[in-house]
Amino acid sequence: MFIALSPKSIIEYLFMDKLLFFVCFIGILVRIYLSSSDFGSSIADRVEVSTPLNSWKRVIEGVSLYNENINPYEGDLFHETPLALVFFSYLTSILSDFYVTLVFIGCDILTAFVLYSTSKIYTKNLIIQQTKTKNIYNKEFNKLLIPDDFSVINPVYVCSVYMLNPYTVFSCIARTTTVFNNLFLALCLYAMVKRQRLLGCLSLVLASLPTFYTFGLVAPLMISCASTDSKKKTGSFLITFLTCVAISCTFLYICYTIMNEWTFLDSVYGFILNVRDLKPNIGLFWYFFTEMFEHFRALFVCAFQLNASILYVVPLSIRLRHDPLLLATSLLALTAVFKSYPSIGDVGFYLSLLPIHRHLFYFMQQAFIVSCFFVGCTVFAPTVWHLWIYSRSANANFYFGVTLAFATTQIFLITDLLFAYIKREFALKHGMKRMINGKEARLMLD
Amino acid sequence: MGLLTDPSVGHGALTSIFVRHHNRFCILMYIASVVLFCMLAHDSFSSQTYFSENALLPGLVKGQLNDNTGSSFKDHYRELKAEAQYFETETPHSYLISKFKNLRLETYSHNFTLNYPLKKNTKYTGRNVYGILRAPRSASIESIVLSIPYRAPSSVFPNTLPGLAVMFQIAQFFRQQMYWAKDIIFLVTEHEQLGMQAWLEAYHGTCCGSPGVLDSGKLSGRAGAIQAAINLEIHSEKIDHIDIKLSGLNGQLPNLDLVNLAHRLCNKESVRHTFNNVDGGAIGRNKVNTYYTNLSTMLSMVMTQATGVPDGNHGLFHRFGIEAITLEGYEKKGRGIYVSVLQVGRVIEGMFRSLNNLLERFHQSFFFYLLPSTDRYVSIGLYMPCLVLLVGALFLKAFSTWIQHSSEHKLGDSLSKQATISEHLNVGVVSLITLGTHVLGLILLPNFAPAYFTYFWDHISTHRALLMGYGLLSFIIVCIMPILMKKCLNSFKVSNWVLLHVICLLELGIGLLCVSMHNFSLGYLTALVYVLPAIFTSSSQNKIGVKFLWLLVHPMCSLIWITAIITYMAYPELQIVDYLTKVIEASGQWMALSTVDNLVYGNWAFSISVLLLLPVWTSFWCLMFLPTNLPQKYKTE
Repeated sequence: MFIALSPKSIIEYLFMDKLLFFVCFIGILVRIYLSSSDFGSSIADRVEVSTPLNSWKRVIEGVSLYNENINPYEGDLFHETPLALVFFSYLTSILSDFYVTLVFIGCDILTAFVLYSTSKIYTKNLIIQQTKTKNIYNKEFNKLLIPDDFSVINPVYVCSVYMLNPYTVFSCIARTTTVFNNLFLALCLYAMVKRQRLLGCLSLVLASLPTFYTFGLVAPLMISCASTDSKKKTGSFLITFLTCVAISCTFLYICYTIMNEWTFLDSVYGFILNVRDLKPNIGLFWYFFTEMFEHFRALFVCAFQLNASILYVVPLSIRLRHDPLLLATSLLALTAVFKSYPSIGDVGFYLSLLPIHRHLFYFMQQAFIVSCFFVGCTVFAPTVWHLWIYSRSANANFYFGVTLAFATTQIFLITDLLFAYIKREFALKHGMKRMINGKEARLMLD
Repeated sequence: MGLLTDPSVGHGALTSIFVRHHNRFCILMYIASVVLFCMLAHDSFSSQTYFSENALLPGLVKGQLNDNTGSSFKDHYRELKAEAQYFETETPHSYLISKFKNLRLETYSHNFTLNYPLKKNTKYTGRNVYGILRAPRSASIESIVLSIPYRAPSSVFPNTLPGLAVMFQIAQFFRQQMYWAKDIIFLVTEHEQLGMQAWLEAYHGTCCGSPGVLDSGKLSGRAGAIQAAINLEIHSEKIDHIDIKLSGLNGQLPNLDLVNLAHRLCNKESVRHTFNNVDGGAIGRNKVNTYYTNLSTMLSMVMTQATGVPDGNHGLFHRFGIEAITLEGYEKKGRGIYVSVLQVGRVIEGMFRSLNNLLERFHQSFFFYLLPSTDRYVSIGLYMPCLVLLVGALFLKAFSTWIQHSSEHKLGDSLSKQATISEHLNVGVVSLITLGTHVLGLILLPNFAPAYFTYFWDHISTHRALLMGYGLLSFIIVCIMPILMKKCLNSFKVSNWVLLHVICLLELGIGLLCVSMHNFSLGYLTALVYVLPAIFTSSSQNKIGVKFLWLLVHPMCSLIWITAIITYMAYPELQIVDYLTKVIEASGQWMALSTVDNLVYGNWAFSISVLLLLPVWTSFWCLMFLPTNLPQKYKTE
């Protein structure tokens, strides 16, 4: 999955431009074709794609209730924020079904381009930083330097992975609201590399309002927006954090004024935190909470939610403080694995961020196994689902086995990526040959 | 955590041993798989069957069905025979309806139409008759089905009239009993599996095959959700043995509890019962003999299951989550002790009384198993490793090819050289080949290509048109690909085509695993054929022998080999010319049948071969003819 054409000369740089347009064209074509065929609706019904939080069916239901002046938060059906409710109500009132699909596709393209420029700026920054600090590193470092052509190629990879990845394609044609979420997340990442605090805070709040897990991204935002002066750092951290909190509060108050009551808080955040809907999905919550004794529920809900939301934020921020984008990628990946209603749209988003860190690929070792497992799980999940639900011959354990394998694979990928970063750091300082007393030494992570 | 964080993974001593000798390991795994599979039939691998669902046990009480009240079996049978002979080719619907009504059942009939998919404006119609015995002790929430395929005297299949007479007898007896908590549906279907499929589709209000092919019509009366079904085919008054058949559509099997129940009740009523026409029990056989009998029984089950075609009407129920089996009673030839029809009736009585007692639908016991004998089973945990070994060989091959390739290029150990690695993978060409082969597969799907073939060769019969169409297309691809690859892609010369090779291997591996989750037998047999050539193929400079081996296992060729073997076993006395024409004819018929099965019943066998095997085969074929540099030349560059 990490391999593609690699040009050498300037002529081939132009070729990259053409490739970019070609990829986008194919991506759009595939999306339009699939959403106009019957395939779209059957994809939208898949549990891997649509969860109670992001399914378009529920949005439609909620909007029509809202238009009939019935509070959509009274039942157990609608779990978007009131802001989204108003937005979708407006969207569906002015546009017909086909144009709504086009809006989704347009959002996806926008996301791809935001990611493209994010990657471009990030890689350029890396190269500038590298020329500054060349002298500190070991003499052998030449081999580990990031070549200049990465700043041209990586963005194209990022864009093409986002446009052609089946996960994001399915998520888009199923019209999940994850598409909008991904757009805001991409904007947030863009603000990080651009060091624009206000845009970052705004997009972060918009992205985390419906799910709240992604609020953890405030840590990389704080780091990247901090001033270089070490005295002012703490103050800058605080300003970013407070801005985010203030914007969140404002948005929540706007939500309140829309609905005139606070019940939506329970329908949105209570629903996410208490894991009330145990319909199977690619996450780990549903099986665990169906099997568990009811009186342990509170304990395990706390443990699981802490694991999904804030457990990794502080330690990873300390370790990866020099690379906020990698921090953001790993936090996004971890939430996509551990959150209560994950969908493959989330997985697709962080997978498309991986080519940004292409300079680490050289140190990754599990790439082959991980990609095999990704493909295998993607094919197996519908197979065992069919056996379980339609043929009635298999049972929930089969499906859970696949989702467990999927989660494990993702954790392998994240660990491999983070470890590659550490190995690269080490190699830059101490050289590639790890010899102690004439024997080859082993790197251990303790 | 060492597995995650140890940097030496992938470069360790063990890995390098695996990578260096991967071909030997692959072959070892292949042999181990075959050996393990043969061992499964041994008693130490299979276990004794047992009842998992205790609710089924009450039926094991003394059977009460007898000939004394009402009309006897003989009366029913005589009447039925006279009626059947009157209608040489048709089903006596009105007689059946009046008979059911006389038995005081709620009687309905059901019409259906088949629009024959391979010829325009060809229609077949049929009519099923069914009667419902409403449960006195509950509302119509659940039901059990007793079905019989009606065969007119002109039918090529053995007649089922004695079974029908038994059904009347049973219905008459069941009507008087007070203990029924589930409705009982007595169903007489027409046109073999077609009638059954139409009735089931109408009962559940769905369509399983291609839309518009089978018009299943509407039912005017329904009972509750069907919990289980028994299909009865009894060929004679004097029965030699009852054979219990399981294999369903796409290799789905009924719950093992139901199968056990049938065997146990036959045992109790001292009815000789068999599986695949082989007696169970090892009494009087020595150990070696027992093993061979078990092995051959298991193999014949695997063969039956692998076709994906149900071996009786019961097989169509499985898709709807209904457990069903067929009891087939074979005629006793000659003199000696025979099993009377009444004994079989009591077996059915016992089964229905057991099923009547079920509180939940079947969920215990096994749905995935192989049976080496009537009373022994091999569970999924034991037979799956056989397939995992084969697929594991494919994965090992892919992994070592990949590692070898990347380590070759890592020798330089520089990041800038990493760019050259990816350059040699030629993503564009590879994705074009992969995409092209799959599009070809999609075009050849049964609901697309066959209609064009039959339209094009309108004047010849359907099966010949299909054989010609698919055969010609395959032949063209086989011939044109090497030329295309050599001529057009000359500018893309590289040392090897690792990416394409790895993709092919992985697709084959994952595809086989998925197929075997549904139908182990099909998956395993396909794996046995295709894993070997896949292991021998390398990513460059393939020998002519490997190419020839691949040619032999082309899906079309495989079909012809299989037909040839079956034809030889069926008619060993044929002359060579007759034999060959017979083989070709039979292959064509097989294809036509498979196509129709796909369109009417939703059988996957054809789709799998067209969507999985053919694309993988074509990709491998391309791989072997892609232009490559000599390795020495590459090193000097």
